Amino acid sequence: MLTRDLVLTALFAAIIVVLGLLPPIMLGFIPVPITAQSLGVMLAGVVLGAKRGTIAVLLVLLLAAIGLPVLSGGRGGLGVFAAPTTGYLIGWVAAAFVTGFLSERLVRREQTGLVQGAGFFVSALMGGVVVLYAFGIVYLALVTGMGFSKAFLGSLAFIPGDALKAVVAALAGRAVMVGYPLLPQRA
Amino acid sequence: MRTLYVSGDSLLHRISPRVKLVGLAALSVVLFASRSPTLLGTLCVASAATYLLLRLPLHESWQRLRPVLLTIVIVGLFTLVADSAPQAGIFVLRLTSLMLLAAAVTATTSISDFMGEITALAMPFERIGLLKAADIGLAVGLVVRFVPEVLARYQAVRDAHHARGLKPRMLTTAVPMIILTLRNADEIASAIDARGLRRQK
Repeated sequence: MLTRDLVLTALFAAIIVVLGLLPPIMLGFIPVPITAQSLGVMLAGVVLGAKRGTIAVLLVLLLAAIGLPVLSGGRGGLGVFAAPTTGYLIGWVAAAFVTGFLSERLVRREQTGLVQGAGFFVSALMGGVVVLYAFGIVYLALVTGMGFSKAFLGSLAFIPGDALKAVVAALAGRAVMVGYPLLPQRA
Repeated sequence: MRTLYVSGDSLLHRISPRVKLVGLAALSVVLFASRSPTLLGTLCVASAATYLLLRLPLHESWQRLRPVLLTIVIVGLFTLVADSAPQAGIFVLRLTSLMLLAAAVTATTSISDFMGEITALAMPFERIGLLKAADIGLAVGLVVRFVPEVLARYQAVRDAHHARGLKPRMLTTAVPMIILTLRNADEIASAIDARGLRRQK
């Protein structure tokens, strides 16, 4: 890994940590608060691509595991990996990878802005919602023994917020690509 | 950044970090393999006792344990309604024990001890050429170093919004924050290479 790629992943990990420090937002039509940290996971894939994005997310989880309060709400320590929602944390890694993998393949420089935005949106939705919830729901179902359909039902309230984040990630991904392109240079 | 490590001289502080981590992993296997309420109940009481041995102030313990405890209780109640009482009980005992033990390990193991273990764990991967163990420490150090800087950048972008009478939104703040932060990557990388920290071309 080049030093530059190492630095980029570390800087992005810092961005994900800072997004977790922002206060959660309440939107009227969604019953649960929205944190910006999982937006950071989608952004890691969209901006840095599969390899570097995945490493950035792994770094954040590593910092949390060794006892730094880097997760949203000041959470950290090995205890956060003993929560019923730990599947979502593990899923972050896969989410960043899938988002990055699809972004690298769907989005190219010569495409029009609309196509690029759509490509980023599909990538973020597949990685940050479909894959992420697959991990989260399977873990929740196994750890509680409540069964998949009930675990799915229990997670339903969070999906609109994350779908909304995929839109933000797509728009931000395109804006960063225009302002400071990193995606085409694959690490 | 404040760490969750608390310096002290308790028994758990003195045990080697490797023993603590392996013990935690072994106990988590036991916790998830067992369905016996007596065993799980005993382990839960033992975990709580272990945590109490640290003698953290009650208020601080509550601050630390609250987020995970809250999700365990909420999901426990959901399981109670959606499934059955024994199932919910087993789940709550299991995760509460694991969470208390994990929190105890976190509170008694310093960041440098953790990094030592992680570097040792990464050594086999270095031997097969997958990664450089020393890079992990470098990357962790970089993140800790740059979080305050990125936060300051976020605040500057937010202030710029306020100065222009705009409401700071996730999209309009995230984009400048990301671009401004990542633009420094080349300089930082050159600085690292100039110091020969990674010993490579």
